[in-house]
Amino acid sequence: MRPRTLVFIACSPQPRAGVSTTARLLTDYFLSRGQAVGGFDADPRDPRYFGWFPDMVSVVDAADIKGQIALFDRLLENDGVPKVVDVWSRSYDQFFATIREIGFIEEARRNGVEPIVLFHASSAQRTLSKALDLRAQWRDLWMFAVHNEGAAPLGAYAREILPRYPVRGKFVIAPLEGPVARALDDPDLSLSRFLLAPPADMSIVVRAALKAWITPVFTQFQSFELRLALESSSVLR
Amino acid sequence: MAEKKSKPSKQHPAAKPDAARAPVESSTTKQGAKMKPAVIIVGADKGGVGKTTISRALLDYLAANNVLARAFDTETPRGTLHRFHPDETSIVDLTSTSDQMKILDTLATSQVKVSVIDVRAGGLGPALVALEDTGFLDAAKAGEFTFILFHVLGSSISSLDEIAEIAPYVGDARYFLVKNHVNDTTFFEWDPLTHRKYFEKVVTAGEITIPKLNEMSYEKVEIAGTPFTTFIANKTASGDDADHSFVLRGYVRTWMNRIAEEFDRVGLLELISAKGGKTR
Repeated sequence: MRPRTLVFIACSPQPRAGVSTTARLLTDYFLSRGQAVGGFDADPRDPRYFGWFPDMVSVVDAADIKGQIALFDRLLENDGVPKVVDVWSRSYDQFFATIREIGFIEEARRNGVEPIVLFHASSAQRTLSKALDLRAQWRDLWMFAVHNEGAAPLGAYAREILPRYPVRGKFVIAPLEGPVARALDDPDLSLSRFLLAPPADMSIVVRAALKAWITPVFTQFQSFELRLALESSSVLR
Repeated sequence: MAEKKSKPSKQHPAAKPDAARAPVESSTTKQGAKMKPAVIIVGADKGGVGKTTISRALLDYLAANNVLARAFDTETPRGTLHRFHPDETSIVDLTSTSDQMKILDTLATSQVKVSVIDVRAGGLGPALVALEDTGFLDAAKAGEFTFILFHVLGSSISSLDEIAEIAPYVGDARYFLVKNHVNDTTFFEWDPLTHRKYFEKVVTAGEITIPKLNEMSYEKVEIAGTPFTTFIANKTASGDDADHSFVLRGYVRTWMNRIAEEFDRVGLLELISAKGGKTR
């Protein structure tokens, strides 16, 4: 059976939840494995995701029909190239309303495309409510919670809050110390190339900390891919 | 105003890509009672209110429910409806005796029992006068035909004035006021006095609300020149694969579903399939 093309929708109804960071990490993960990626930054006002990958990420205005065509028609292509969408928090409601209106999830599945929602958790009840709304609308939608411990820390309540999210699994992104976070903000820093050849002028302390931060995230992504491959495998049926 | 009770909504059959089609409807019921011919007139006093759009949606709805229908486009000589539904539409002049005969004399004899007449803008009044003169309204009163009128309203007071003007002709018709939200018109719902004056003093079979379809989707269908269902199915007029945007097809599909829900809610199919006998 031909593997499905994956479409990752990184989103949060709350601002500053680390959505763009997730989009970046996921894109760099695929690039580090020599795989092409298609990226879409749905924040036309401050496209951070686009800033890191200007050659492979398109900026789209998902509130505009032309932007929707540029985005969703492309996402439906079953070309084997994973796609990553960075959904702007302010357009969260409109984005999923559009998905519902045009029947994107259903059409994607018919086309051999699997939408995967990377829902960024927070301590706000509204965030959990939105996740539950998504699950109620699409019962078999692939949803994973992302806990960015730096951008949206749950602290001691993580064990209590995260299980409430109606998700298949979770990804955890550790916090970063100030100097390391500042290094990460450099738009010219490619995380995929960093793992192969860190910049010569980078502090060795920062270098080590960054590597220690990236590696567990990439390991989680790899585990996810393996899990997906196992679940799709005809050998195990 | 008299209104039909709500019916459960259903997805427009044409919206499901692999929907199994029910057998073609017979004009004779199991008990042997013949289905009365039905005439659906779609009219408006002004142009630009979406009258022909509604006729097109109506033809798609009937086709999706396996109801054979023929259409008459009075927008002679151009025929906008004919452009989108050429196989089932004839362009006619309702003031012409020969065209009147073409429509009315074949109502009882045609194998196709449902006739949709798309009346040109501003022609609704004259059309009803012509139908009265030919005896059609009397025949409808006698129960020979089911007469359904979709009166498409515009946002102007003159459009609302037309309600009173055509009232004398629609006593034996299933008379529906159609609010077509082609723009952001509110049909004076914000002004209770005006709304009451026009909408609450007329006896109708109900109101039908047509939601707005975004301009880009609408224009793409215009360019394609196909029925809405053909556009949704991503086909050309000749049945070949088209290359229409999924987003636009999705919007049109959802819009058609909502219209189908409205037609279901007012029991349109039940009205059309009424057996022989008086309409009221």
